[in-house]
Parts: sequence; C-alpha cells; structure tokens
Amino acid sequence: MRIRTHLAAAAALLALAVRITPAVAQERVFLRPEPGTPVVAVQVLVGVGPVDEAPAQAGISYLAARSVVEPVRGTLDSLGAHLDVDQQKDAIAFTLTAAPDNWAEASRVLMLSLFRDPVDSTATVRQRAAIVRELAAREASPADALERERAKAVYGADHPWGRPAVGTATSVRAIRVSQVDAYLRRNFTPERSVVAVVGPIDEGEARDALAGHMPAGELVTDTVPPPAPADAPVEAEYNAITTWVSATWRFGPESDVEALRMLAQLALDRVSFGPSRRSVYNSRAEVVRYAAGGELRLTLVVPPGEAEQWATQLREAVNGYANEALPAAVFQERLRRFRGERLLQLDLPEQRAAAMARSALLGDRGATLVDFTRLNPERLQAAARELERPIVVFLGPARSQGDGG
Amino acid sequence: MLTLSLALALAAAPPDTTRDRPRAAQSAPAITVHSQPALPVVALRMSVVADDPPGYAGAGHLIQHLLLHGLEDQAARVGGRVQAIRGADAIVYTVVGPATELDYLAGILRSTLRPPAVAPGSPGMLQALGALAEERSTERETAPAYVRAALRAQLFPAGLPAAGTDGGAARLQAAALGDVWGEIYAPDRVSIVAVGDVTMNAVERAFRSLPAASAGRLAASDPDTIPAFEADTPQATRGWIGSAWRGDSVDAAAMSVTARLLRTYLRRRMSRSNVEVEHWWTHHGQALALVVATPDSLVRAARGTVGGALAAFRPTVNEEGVRAAARSLRREMLFYSRTPERMAELLGEFSDRGAGRDATQRYYAALDAVTEEDVARVLDQLAAGEPATVYVPPQRIPPEQRR
Repeated sequence: MRIRTHLAAAAALLALAVRITPAVAQERVFLRPEPGTPVVAVQVLVGVGPVDEAPAQAGISYLAARSVVEPVRGTLDSLGAHLDVDQQKDAIAFTLTAAPDNWAEASRVLMLSLFRDPVDSTATVRQRAAIVRELAAREASPADALERERAKAVYGADHPWGRPAVGTATSVRAIRVSQVDAYLRRNFTPERSVVAVVGPIDEGEARDALAGHMPAGELVTDTVPPPAPADAPVEAEYNAITTWVSATWRFGPESDVEALRMLAQLALDRVSFGPSRRSVYNSRAEVVRYAAGGELRLTLVVPPGEAEQWATQLREAVNGYANEALPAAVFQERLRRFRGERLLQLDLPEQRAAAMARSALLGDRGATLVDFTRLNPERLQAAARELERPIVVFLGPARSQGDGG
Repeated sequence: MLTLSLALALAAAPPDTTRDRPRAAQSAPAITVHSQPALPVVALRMSVVADDPPGYAGAGHLIQHLLLHGLEDQAARVGGRVQAIRGADAIVYTVVGPATELDYLAGILRSTLRPPAVAPGSPGMLQALGALAEERSTERETAPAYVRAALRAQLFPAGLPAAGTDGGAARLQAAALGDVWGEIYAPDRVSIVAVGDVTMNAVERAFRSLPAASAGRLAASDPDTIPAFEADTPQATRGWIGSAWRGDSVDAAAMSVTARLLRTYLRRRMSRSNVEVEHWWTHHGQALALVVATPDSLVRAARGTVGGALAAFRPTVNEEGVRAAARSLRREMLFYSRTPERMAELLGEFSDRGAGRDATQRYYAALDAVTEEDVARVLDQLAAGEPATVYVPPQRIPPEQRR
C-alpha cells in the first residue's frame, strides 16, 4: 500500500514537470496550462538589482520598478487584475493575477509599462516619497535589522548583495528622476527578463499574446562578484528583550536544492518550540536560490542569555544529518510530511508562476516546480555534508544587559 | 463577454469537473467534486448542516475546539492543514494536503463525526469552554463586532452566535457530549466538497461509510435566546452607526450587486468615514447591512446620511454601474477561489444554505444577468421593511481625567 502511494506521487509530480512548456521560439517565456484553475498568474522576473546599482544609488532598481508601473495601476484595477512588485537580490518580480478573460490584456499593459513607456516624473517623485516613508518605518523592525546584518555578514559590507536590496531611506531620498529614467532604459529590457504564465490558458493564444513583448533570444544575466563573508560570529546590538540568532549556510550552484529544503525543515524541527524547548519564542527556516547558488537560513528568537547555546544547537541540528543517514523508515515518514508542505507552498497560482520564473532565471529550461520524487536518505546526507561552517549573526541587547533571566 | 462559470474554465477542464452525485446509501454523504489537476493536492470540506440543540447554544463550536488540536497534529504528519469553522448554517471542517493522501485526509474528517469522548470537567473541556467564553466576550468588546452582532440579533433572532450563550455553556459543562452530538449529527446532514487532483470515484471510496447516528438524546430544554446588548459597552474611538434591512425573498445576485453599488456610492459621499456595505446570507435569510465609523464631529451628519441612504442612492443607479459592479464581484470570486481550499469553501458555503449543490455556479452566472431593474426591485423590497439600527457613541474622556 505504501509503495503504491509513493509511486502515484512520483507519477503525479513527473507530470507536473512535463506540463511546463517553454514556448518554442522564446526561451524566456514559460507556459503552464492549468485547466480548472480559476485565474491566470503571470510573473515577469527582470534580472535587475543591487549588482547594477552604484552604491550611492542603492534602491534605484526598486524605485524604478514601482515608478514605472504606477501609471498603469488604475488600468489594471479596472481590469480586476492584481499587481505586486517585489525586489529580490538578483531580480525584480512583477506578479500579475487576472481573470482568464483579460489576463492577456493586463499582461500587455504591464509589459508596455516595463519595456516601452518612459518613466513618469510625478509617479517617480510620489513613489520615492512612499518608499522613503516605508523604509524609515521598517528601520525599527527587528526582522529588517536582522536581514540587514545578515546580508552584510554573508556577503560583506562592500558587496552589492551586502546592501539592502531595496536601498535605505537615505539612499532612495537622494535618487533623482533623471537617474531613474536612465537606469530604466539601460536595464529594464526583455533580454534580461523571463516570464512564467500559469492558469487556464491556451498555449497558442498565450504565445501570441506575449510574442510582441518578449522577442526570442538568450537570457542576459549579471555577473555577481565573489562574496567576502564574516569569518567570526557577528554581534549586532538591538534594543529588545529577546535575541535573534541566525545561522546561514551558503551553497553553490550545483547543490541539491530540494534536499537542502528538506534538510532545513528537519533541522528546524530539532530547534523549534516544544516541551523540551520552551524558551524558543519563534523559529524559521528558509532556502533561497540565486544564480551563484543560494543560502540555507535558520533563525531563532530566544532569551539573550541563551543565544550562544542556541547558535551551537543550530549548527548541530544541521550537522546531525551530515553525520548519519536517516534510517529508511524514518526518512519515509519525514518525506511524507515534507512532500505535503512543499506542495502547499505552491497552492496559489502566483506561487507556481514565481517558482517557475525563478527556475527559469537560474537557467532551468524545464522551469521545474518541485523535485522531491527521488529524494532519499543518501541525498539528504550528501546535501548536509556539502554545507560548510555557517555564518552566525546575533541581534539583541548587549550581552552584559541581557543575562538577567 | 465573460463565458466562465465558477465551475471555472469549464470548457478546458477535464470531464468530471464539478460533478455531484446523490448519496448512494443513508450512511453515505452527498459529494461534490471539482477537479483541479494543476497540482497533486486536494482540499476536502465536510459540513454537517445543523443548528445547536435547543438550550445548548455553542455546542457545535465547543466540539470543534475539543477536536482541533488533535486534527492539526494528524494533518501535519502529511504536511497538511486543517481548519474548523462554525458557520450559521453548518459545522465545517476543511483539510488540505497531497492528493495521494486522500484516504488519510478523509479519515481525519470522518473521525470528527464520532461522538466526542471528553468527560465533563476534564482539562480539555475547561480549556474549550474558556475559549468559547473569550469568543463571546470579544464579540461585544469592540465596536465593529458589536455593531454587526447587534444588527444580526435584531434581524435574525433565531440565529444564535457560534460561540453560544452563557446559559448554553453552563449546560454544556455538565452534559454528556455524546448525547449532545446525537442531537446534531446524522449521516444525511453531511456534505463533502472535494477540490483538487481527485476523481469522484476516489472520493466516494474515501467516504463510503460514515459513523451511524448516535442513539443518545438530551432531555428537552428551553431554547436559548441572544442576551440583550444594552449592558455592553464596546470600545469605540469613533461613532459607529449600523443599519440593516432584511430581504429574504430578493434575488441573491441582485442583492450582492446592490450592496456593492451602495458601498461605492456611500464611500464617495462619506469620504471621511469608513463605510462597509455587506450582503448577509444564511439559511435564516438575507440582509443588506451598512456599517459606518465616523469621527465625533461628523456623527450627526453621518447618521442622517445613513438614515436616508437607500432613498438617496436609488436615483444614482444606472445600467453601466450595475455591469461594472457585477463584473467586479465575479472577478473577486475568481480571485478568492484560486486555492483548492478556498474553492471548496465557496462551493460548500452556497450548498450549506440549502440552495442546492450547483448554487455557486448559478449565483456566478446570475451576477452577469443582473439589471438596473433588478437593483431597483431589491431597493423597493428593502425599503418596505423597518431597518434594524444600532449606534455606538464615541467614548469621551471625562474632563477630570484629561491632562
């Protein structure tokens, strides 16, 4: 019975990968027809970010992205379409969700704004003020403070990815409209973009709808300078009654990402709140992928006096899986859970479009959504063994203040 | 022209998309399957269409509190999620997880149909009763919840709150829950909606037999009534004004469009107030509810605007506005139902009201056909009745407490 279940899962997931079809003449457009899905999700991933920015203009990519779509938001609203803009380290994601009868029109409006329309000066000024306000408000957030410290520790303060991908309130405030215009013309191009479309679409019609905006050709990508990670744990002072402990393992482009995702979840289970771990207030695991590899991140929120001890436990949680392969029965039980969690991470069409676009940006011609059908204890152990020493960041009160229980 | 139905892109969908099959036997539930093969995931929504037994208001929700933690643990074993909702129409559990785990997930839902084995006075029971008491007080603590609860109580006095009443809770504390469940559950009250990469045959197999109805019965008790609202003092920093009109016989799609149009109209007129216009629809009936929060200085004007809202709004209705409102509602439905879980919720909620298992699709199609005349008819019928009204004044700090 168990074997049949797993074979069925494998068959279903292989089909999942096969159904994704890059449009024949456009290696940067990926279509996934899904009969029965009520809306169409489109993600345009433009490979532009901090690597393209001068340090004094940190955040110009995000400002340009927000400014260029602002004038079309009214049109998209009237079409009942939803648009989100998200700046990542190596790309900007424009995610559009629309009804099946007008997704093509909404996509046309978005693509024209991205690749043809000049930037609107009033929109830029308005967005600049809005972003400055948002960033100023976020500066006090411990999650944002941790993200800033982690980026510096993992990549180095002078590395483009060591800066906040959205810039700072100070840097964004100093950016001029003319600079945004020039930046947009130079960097926002179809050649640097991939498009993923998910939903009840007709492949031929979808291809025709996008052809005029995404001419055929190879994807143009940035070269990312090598990182200069911190060689000792970083302690960042923050006025709080808890300490955030973050451990980040960098991995290379050839790493087994699906095995690392499972490893992250399993390691998190060993350090999350439970009857024997009552002082863990919060915990989180993340695996993020970039062109040059990616990061496995584990984060805990704990009492300041226990921070060092939990940093050790984070390391051991991962090392435990490197030292010994899980017994087959235990692995199957863990995989059963992981499989469900991974699938539910993709239950929104826009999440599937985002996963496809990310895979495509990283050169995966199949734009694979998930790849856990052939996971086994050996793959899990091998993935854990490849990880080297983590980069640890503590964010919290100075140690002398925080030990009061 | 929109050619979709909420059976969503039906033309391109597999042949068994949204199929209903009547129950095969007394112990089998009514099943609706909406095929979504996009992802090997399934959402199963199970509803038991029943009111709480007279005198035991809150019983259904109490049992949900008792079961939920265990259900979550079971679903987590396959990476799934569980949700429990006590609606006005039904006791609802939804579980979502891998489609390959259909039998396991169905087993989680079936387990909720057995009489709960919890002793009166046990820690679990006390904890669940505490959670219910907190929900009851929360409903009357803040102005937005209070206004809605007070309007509902005037319009639908038989519609008791999901968290019950203090009197009901006192009786539940001492009752044999098996007997309580015996009054609520019968196999023919169970409906299943499955959305995802599954077939009708597989879902039928997974639910082929349900527990038999329990023989236990409660001694007769006086029905519960909704406690009076006068003694409550909800927190309000602005003035809160509520008005609601009952319209049981109006066309539901036309009522939704009317509510959307009225919201747009009032938001333009009352730009400094927060305006919500809602279409309430349960097996108790339908209503159009208007809830406005306004600054202290505008309360008098706002009360006047709300009082004359229907009459002032009526001449502004035109065909173009009706079409735009209907389009916007249809797109919102599509957007909302984009996960299997939410699609199951939408399909199930319509069916639980007793309107038939294709009620969602019919409503979706009917939205597209609503006309200016339909909206006018809705307004006529609403205006013919007396509205329910509620007012919560903004709290003022006494002068002696001001610095």
